[in-house]
Amino acid sequence: MVVLSEISENLQKGKAKIVKELVTQAIAEGMDPEQILNEGLLAGMNVVGEKFKNNEVYVPEVLVAARAMNMGAEVLKPHLAASGVVARGKVCIGTVAGDLHDIGKNLVKMMMEGKGLEVVDLGTDVSPETFVNTAESEGCQVICCSALLTTTMGAMEEVVKLAKERGIRDKVKIMIGGAPVSQEYCDKIGADCYTVDAASAADAAVKFCAELG
Amino acid sequence: MTASERFRKYLSGEEVDRCPAIEWATWWNLTVDRWHKEGLPADVDNNEKIQDYFGLDKCLQMWIGYRTKDTPRSAGNGLGIVNDEDDWERVKKTLFPPVETVINTKTLDYFERARQRGDTISFFTVEGFFWYPRTIFGIENHLYSFYDYPELYKEMCELYSDWLIELFRYTFEKFRFDFMTFAEDMSYNRGPMLSKACFDEFLAPFYKKVIPVIHEYGIPVIIDSDGDITEAVDWYAEVGADGMLPLERKAGVDVSTYLDKQPKLAFIGHFDKMCMKDGKDAMRAEFERILPSMMRGKVIVSVDHQTPPDVPMEYYKEYAKLLYEYCEKATHKGENIAPCPVFEKK
Ligand code: B12
Repeated sequence: MVVLSEISENLQKGKAKIVKELVTQAIAEGMDPEQILNEGLLAGMNVVGEKFKNNEVYVPEVLVAARAMNMGAEVLKPHLAASGVVARGKVCIGTVAGDLHDIGKNLVKMMMEGKGLEVVDLGTDVSPETFVNTAESEGCQVICCSALLTTTMGAMEEVVKLAKERGIRDKVKIMIGGAPVSQEYCDKIGADCYTVDAASAADAAVKFCAELG
Repeated sequence: MTASERFRKYLSGEEVDRCPAIEWATWWNLTVDRWHKEGLPADVDNNEKIQDYFGLDKCLQMWIGYRTKDTPRSAGNGLGIVNDEDDWERVKKTLFPPVETVINTKTLDYFERARQRGDTISFFTVEGFFWYPRTIFGIENHLYSFYDYPELYKEMCELYSDWLIELFRYTFEKFRFDFMTFAEDMSYNRGPMLSKACFDEFLAPFYKKVIPVIHEYGIPVIIDSDGDITEAVDWYAEVGADGMLPLERKAGVDVSTYLDKQPKLAFIGHFDKMCMKDGKDAMRAEFERILPSMMRGKVIVSVDHQTPPDVPMEYYKEYAKLLYEYCEKATHKGENIAPCPVFEKK
C-alpha cells in the first residue's frame, strides 16, 4: 500500500520520478484521486511553500518540488476529472508589459498550482488588454500581475483601470507583486492584494477564489 | 593623491583626503534618453563622457567574456546554449579563447594613461560562478541544474576557473587594476536564490581557487550581487572576497549591520536609487543615513545600481554635488579601520 506521506516527502525532495511512480501505484491500488491530490501532492507542496517563506529552502528546491508535483498531477488529472473533482479556482498570471523578469512569476504560478488552483500562464511582457481579455474569456477569478521594474509597475494600474472599464471589477480580483511593489502602491492603484512572497500569494488567491465562488 | 591611490588607501583603511566619488555601473539607457531631452549634450553618449559631464571621479571598466565567434547564440531571452552533457561537449570547444586574443593591449595602454593622469579608477570584470553557468544553461534550467546536472555544473566551472587563472595572470602582469568584480546577481529581495549548501558545493570551491591568484597581484575582489545579500555577504567573506556591491536598499540591505559582522570587507553602492526622484532633501537625508557607515568603514557610497528613468537630470546634478559634499566628510581620519583581506600584512 502506498503511504500518502511518502508521496509528500518525495515531492519535497524533488524526486519527480518516484512521485510519479507512487501516484500511479496509489491509483492502481484504488485510492481516491482527490485524497492522493490533497494529502500527497498538495500537502507536500504546502510544506515547501512554508519553508520557502521562512528561507529554509531556496528557489532551486521549490522548482524541483513543483516539477515533481506536476509529474504526479499529470497522472492524476484524468482520474480527477472522471470522479468530478474540479480545481479550487482559476487564475491568470503574467509579467507586465515591458518587463521580462519571470523567475518570481513562475514561482507564484507553481505555488498556486500547489494549492490546487488552475493557472493560465501568459508569460512575460503581457499587455493590460491580454490580462483582462484572458480573465474574461477563460473565466478567471483572479488576475496576477508581476513587475520587477519601477518603469513597468505603472502597467498594473492600467490593468486595474481596464478591468473597471470592462465592468468586470466585481467578478475579478487583481493581485500584484514583485520587488518594487508595496502594499502602499497596491492601495494607491486600487488593486486587491499585494504579498511579499509566492506562498502567501497562493494563500490569498485561494481565499479570493473561495469568496467569489 | 591620484584617484587610484585614494581608492586603494580607502580600502586599506588608511586616511585619505576624501572618499572616492564614483559611479561604477553603466547608465540605464532609458535614463540617458530622458536626460538628452533635458539638455544633456547629444555627444555625451558613453559612460566616460557622462562621468566627466557630472564631474565624478572617472571609473573605467574592462569586462571580459569567455565566448568566441563560434559559440552558439541563445535562441531567446533567458534561454541557454547547453541542455545536457552532449551539448556541453560540443559547446565547450567553442569557449575559452587564448587569453592573449581577448585582452587588447591598446586598451590596457589607455587604462595606464588614464591612471597616470590621476583622475581614473579602473576595474576588471568577469562573470562569477553563479552567473556564468546561468548564461550557459539559461535562467530557469540553471536553477534546476544544481539537482539535475551537478557534475556538469562543476565541470563547467572547473574549466572556466582554469581559464580565468590564465586570464588573470596574463592581464594583471601587464596592468594592475584597482579592483575587480565578479558579476553574480544571485540574490533578490528576500535573500539569496540558492542555499548555503549549494553555495558551498557549487560556487565556493572555485572562488577559493581563483581569489588567491588575484590577491597575488594586490587586487581586491568585489562581488556584484543585487538584492538582499545579508546572508550571502558572510558566504563570500568565507571564500576570501574583499567586498560587495551594490547593496540594494530597496531589497532591505542595511550596510551598518554588515560593518559590524564583516569589518574587513569594503562595500560600494547602497545609495537608495528610489529616493532620487523625490529631489534634494530626500537625497540629503539618504546621504545622512549612510554617512556614519562611511566614517567607520570602507563604504564607497554610490547609486545602488543605475539611476532610474524617473530622475530628472537636474536632480542628478544635485546628487553629484551632494556626493562630493559627503565624500569629503569621510576621510577615515583618526578612525581605526581594518584593511580589506588583500591588503592585510601577511
Ligand atoms: C535576475 C534579475 C534580472 C535577470 C532576469 C531574468 C529572468 N528571466 O527573470 C536579467 C539579467 C535578464 C535582468 C534584466 C534587467 N534588470 Co534585473 N534583476 C534581477 C534581480 C537580480 C533578481 C530578480 C529575481 O529573479 N528575483 C527572484 C524572484 C524569486 O523574486 P521576485 O521576482 O521578487 O518574486 C518574489 C516576490 O516578489 C513575489 N512575487 C513576484 N511576482 C509576484 C506577483 C504577484 C501577483 C504576487 C502577489 C507576488 C509576486 O513572489 C516571488 C517569490 O517569493 C533583481 C534584483 C532584485 N532586488 O530583485 C534585478 C532588478 C529587478 N533588475 C533591474 C534592472 C534595472 C534590470 C534591467 C533594466 C537592466 C538593464 N539596464 O538592462 C534589465 C531589464 C530587462 C527587462 N526589460 O525586463 C533593477 C530594477 C530597478 C528599478 N529601478 O526598477 C533590479 C532591482 C536590480 C537593481 N539592483 O536595481 N534582471
